[in-house]
Amino acid sequence: MKTAKDADKPELDVFAMARAAGLDTAVKQFPQDVAAAAQSAAADRDELPALDDFAAEPWPPMRIRRGR
Amino acid sequence: MTDLHWLSAAEISAEYAARHLSPVELVQTLLDRIATHNGRICAFIGVDAEAALDAARHAEKEILGGRARGPLHGVPIGIKDNIDIAGLPTTCNSKILLDNVARQDARVIGNLRAAGAIMLGKLSLHEFAFGGPSPELPFPPARNPWNPDYHPGGSSSGSGAALAAGFVPLALGTDTGGSVRNPAGTCGLVGLKPTYGLVSRRGVFPLAFTLDHVGPMARSARDIATTLNLLAGHDAADPGSASVSCGRFDSEFERGARGLRVGFVRQYHETDMVADPEVAAALEEVARVLEQDGAIVRDVRLPRLQTLAAVQRVILFAEAWTVHAKWLRERPGDYSTPTRRKVMGGAFLAAGDYVHAQQCRTQMIDAVDDALRDVDVLLTANGLDAAVRVDDSAALARTYARQARSPFNLTGHPALVMMSGLSDAGLPLSVQFVGRAFDEVTLLRVAAAFERATKWHATRPPIT
Repeated sequence: MKTAKDADKPELDVFAMARAAGLDTAVKQFPQDVAAAAQSAAADRDELPALDDFAAEPWPPMRIRRGR
Repeated sequence: MTDLHWLSAAEISAEYAARHLSPVELVQTLLDRIATHNGRICAFIGVDAEAALDAARHAEKEILGGRARGPLHGVPIGIKDNIDIAGLPTTCNSKILLDNVARQDARVIGNLRAAGAIMLGKLSLHEFAFGGPSPELPFPPARNPWNPDYHPGGSSSGSGAALAAGFVPLALGTDTGGSVRNPAGTCGLVGLKPTYGLVSRRGVFPLAFTLDHVGPMARSARDIATTLNLLAGHDAADPGSASVSCGRFDSEFERGARGLRVGFVRQYHETDMVADPEVAAALEEVARVLEQDGAIVRDVRLPRLQTLAAVQRVILFAEAWTVHAKWLRERPGDYSTPTRRKVMGGAFLAAGDYVHAQQCRTQMIDAVDDALRDVDVLLTANGLDAAVRVDDSAALARTYARQARSPFNLTGHPALVMMSGLSDAGLPLSVQFVGRAFDEVTLLRVAAAFERATKWHATRPPIT
């Protein structure tokens, strides 16, 4: 199994981020899962559309309008 | 009379009223059926037989004494194991919570109990309603009664499997990215994700605070409406709870589809994520049936499916991370691999990513509201593929994201899934209807019209 020691540069960045988040044990025991989680989060972040209005109000987090 | 295990809640209530059936007889029949088949289907994590029989005896006494409480009095129901029932473990099918015994009923359980419904036990789920089927979990994955080699959908997998196997006439599930609607579609049922805030989440283990919903699952739209009548209502203890009055959810049940304006979101399954041809053909057939019934069907476009799904996932990862960070730091090995890979995602998102996603969400809500200005309901794909084998982890991973459910967790609009056909392999196909906020009445109207026109809801899996 690949370990954190075998990681290339981008993976090392990921593992550094994971350690900063307190996931030292996960990096040691489950490096492939840590890398997969980081990859998945990055893919979704990259898919977020650009905003025309950077000051658009994000609050409240769920803004349901009465529809009927 | 139909076999007792296939009776709907409405039929059970009528049989009780006519003194043709007693709650004790029904509960014992279902307990026997569970004992016979659950070893293969694995829908129930725990059956509370003693409490169920006690409740049945109590209900019997009240009904025979002329003190019937309403349409769910004495009706058995199964509960997904991330919803608290006082005195029972809420394990979320995770090693992390195996000893977590609920001290209080969830609000929805309190409502059901007050109406006289009988809790039969706790139903299987993907770990924390988020992972996937895995041999690493404390309880085995539920299987699809239409073919036990196949996945029943998830994360409310036990709820779907139990209904399709004839273990219960009703079940509760939760839905953060489609977890009621996936098993409802895959197991040939009806499942509803209500409008965000319509049904209290108090006493339900959180996955993502602003995406979580509790929803009913059943074998007919009528039973969904009856259950929703009891579940809906403001709860001051749930900060997301809405204070709205919707009336009775079955009030337009008999109205039919005539004049109903249906927006067909073809783009989702034709270009955004190309559906399996059988899925696409079944959707065209739904549109044709509704048109024949007098609905006016026209094409409608929404923001790109992948974009909506990504915004939903950024919010989901960020909110789930806050719930699981401590356990992930201290005991990551107690999670199954699929869950660990998902819940750690939030560690790699910045605060700004979350706020950005929330800003996008507002635009997406506006876009769906705009689409629903000119039509009464949207017709969309549910899953883009038919069910896959439960032991095929590659197929599960490939198909799991190929769905059109999570956009409506993001926007909060109500969404109902129902059976719309059978694949060549003999597995259910399904359709999703999406309505205006708090307009579940219209969703149930179209569902009832489709049921009357097709009878798919009366089709049963080949389980004896």
